[in-house]
Amino acid sequence: MEPNKLTGCRALRSQPWLFALVGWLPPLMTLLFIAVFELGTPQSLPVGVVDLDHTSESRALQRYLDASPALDMRHPYPSAREGSEAFQRAEVLALLIIPQHFGRDLRMSLSPKAVAFYNSQYLLAGKFISSALTQSSMNFAAEAGVVLRLGQGYALPQAVAAAAPVRPQITSLYNSGMSYARFLVTTITPALWQIVIVVATLLTLCWRLEKAPLPDTFSARSYALWQLLMPISLLLWFQGLLMLGLYSYFLGWSPEDSIVWLAVGMALMVLAVQSMATLILSAVANKIRALSLCAAYLAPAFAFMGITFPRGDMNMLARVWGNLMPSTHYIELQVAVADHGAPLATLLPPLLILLLFLLPFPLAIHALPKQLTINPAEQVS
Amino acid sequence: MNVWQRFWQAWQVEIANIFADKAVLLVIVGGLLFYAVLYPLPYHKNVPGEQAVAVVDHDHTHLARQLIRMADAAPQIRVAAQPSSMAEAEALLASDDVHGLLIIPSGFERDVYLGRPTSLSFAGDASYFLIYGNVVEGLLTAATTLSVQTQLVGSLMKGENPAQIPGQIMPMRIITKPAFNPTSGYINYIVPAVFVLILHQTLLIAAGSVTIKDRARRRLGQTAPSLALALPLRLFTFMLIYLLFAMLYFGFFFQLYGVPHVAAPNELLAFSVLFFMSATLFAIWLGYLLPRPEFPTVLVLISSLPIVFTAGFAWPAESLPKWLDTLTLLIPVKPGIQGFLAINQMGAPLLSIGREISILVGLCVVYGGWLWWLACHQRTSNSARRMAIETKTIRSENNNRRKRR
Repeated sequence: MEPNKLTGCRALRSQPWLFALVGWLPPLMTLLFIAVFELGTPQSLPVGVVDLDHTSESRALQRYLDASPALDMRHPYPSAREGSEAFQRAEVLALLIIPQHFGRDLRMSLSPKAVAFYNSQYLLAGKFISSALTQSSMNFAAEAGVVLRLGQGYALPQAVAAAAPVRPQITSLYNSGMSYARFLVTTITPALWQIVIVVATLLTLCWRLEKAPLPDTFSARSYALWQLLMPISLLLWFQGLLMLGLYSYFLGWSPEDSIVWLAVGMALMVLAVQSMATLILSAVANKIRALSLCAAYLAPAFAFMGITFPRGDMNMLARVWGNLMPSTHYIELQVAVADHGAPLATLLPPLLILLLFLLPFPLAIHALPKQLTINPAEQVS
Repeated sequence: MNVWQRFWQAWQVEIANIFADKAVLLVIVGGLLFYAVLYPLPYHKNVPGEQAVAVVDHDHTHLARQLIRMADAAPQIRVAAQPSSMAEAEALLASDDVHGLLIIPSGFERDVYLGRPTSLSFAGDASYFLIYGNVVEGLLTAATTLSVQTQLVGSLMKGENPAQIPGQIMPMRIITKPAFNPTSGYINYIVPAVFVLILHQTLLIAAGSVTIKDRARRRLGQTAPSLALALPLRLFTFMLIYLLFAMLYFGFFFQLYGVPHVAAPNELLAFSVLFFMSATLFAIWLGYLLPRPEFPTVLVLISSLPIVFTAGFAWPAESLPKWLDTLTLLIPVKPGIQGFLAINQMGAPLLSIGREISILVGLCVVYGGWLWWLACHQRTSNSARRMAIETKTIRSENNNRRKRR
């Protein structure tokens, strides 16, 4: 085949799996994650109850806790033994033990305590249950306190005021519903998009090198690669923008700053990842090994972004490794633009760092192997 | 050649397919060692440290200052700035200098001492959930402590019966205690589950691509041991290699990272054997579906993040849509992670995780049976093709002979 006909469009037409990768897979993945987190926050998490008291107070407490949307208290166990077995199997994610004399102590103003064990192996669910239990039980206690004080001869307004003198009002900034869907979908899918970029670029380059040798001069090579990669890059950039569109349609996401900054950031991100993919292929000159290296390099990107575990609390090595990935800088930009509505001075550093990733591009183009051969003993065509 | 010689020869071929292939070795040895170091890297500190918050004090009283000191003393937060206006505080938040905000209203001290209900406003940066959780927890602790203190002082000053005071201030409480991961550390949370995922994903790449290359060679008509012998031996060899790596992961690396692990060795071994059997069968099955040796890697790269968030540890399986929860059980890693966590981290006896065991046995049957069918099917089509090629060559040879005549 004539080398100058080996363009990106041709690669897309002749390779259905490449078209899948840059065509319909990214929006499908975004929709998948929107489905995973469709509830927004965890709901009706199973909590086992061992009620050793069996009074109206202990049952009232359970009903009160069950009313919390996060908790499902309808898992009674007759003894702590049976309860803890279910807890170990993760059939219930927490186990509440209401002690004997709970009702009597409550009536006598002796401040009884109930213990709830939560599964901190499943840390997110466990912490969520723990704070729901604490918050709901504080409300239950406040009501019980009003009843107690009324019994001690307080008038109603004083009883209410005395039961909760300092009331905390908690506001979650930048994500008012505290939706995990918004928090996680908008950070996981860019990490996945990065993987799609690196894989698609690598496979397109390999396709080209398997079909015909690259020209020798740098300018001819650059032109051949421009013809090859430009349509792919545009499509990948469009996938990024589509991702933002899906956030805004399904998650009610709307950026504080102008979306133009994100569009610029996404274009730079596509080019930065492509530059890295080319560099890796030029270093190992083998399709499968290049893919393995990309897997080692970018597969854990999400963990290093600092969204789930703060980057400020990572050690030096982890921060350096995170800085080597374009996604880390892109997410910094996205949070600044979309959530914080930050000033230009905050947006420029991540944009400039993404530009830095383009520096090795010319070197990588120069060092790319001239041609790759297909071993017929390795693939079932 | 007797049975044992044939068996031994077939095994040597399988071993050579793995160990003479640099790409496969890179994944099994290099990948497994590299990932075991890389994945826990961000979490070496285990728990997030003190997060910076700003306090806007509109009250400027003794009690307000006491609250600020209490907030600073809470282990989750430190007071990094006391801006004089809301605008200043918002700028600090936008530039990521602080992640939380406490606003003390004017008249705070007076209202508290007069017994009027007052409110304190907290705000946390919910772009980062772990930070948000810490900020809110720290501020709540400070506010509750202050509230209890003022109530206690108030009750004593009013001359109430001291026996009634505990019940008045805190009529009851639920004390929540973390179980299985007592420090609530991130390493203990992420590493046990992700290690199972790493073992599973590298196994998919290695056994998948070995199978694809083997199929390619068979199609070219290269001699190879019969599939009835080769596939069981491949299964056995990969299980053996991965059991060794499981020892390294669940033994040495858990010890190194201080991850609690409590399963009895024989129970852990039994579950590992079942897990690696289903995972290898799944991998070889994929090898029969995919045409090129790089595709297992692509599939693994694309599927890893979806698996992390549907396997039940990072996001509760109870909160997944039902269809998604059921569908993802078809990948051995999900029942695998849930089973390993239950027996090795939560101390459940092996027999109590019947659900996970039966799912894995079911997957072995499904993928094993399907594989058997695929292998038989392709063998017949291959031999038909080979026969066709042979007849073609014979025919052309005959033609040549005829021409020569």
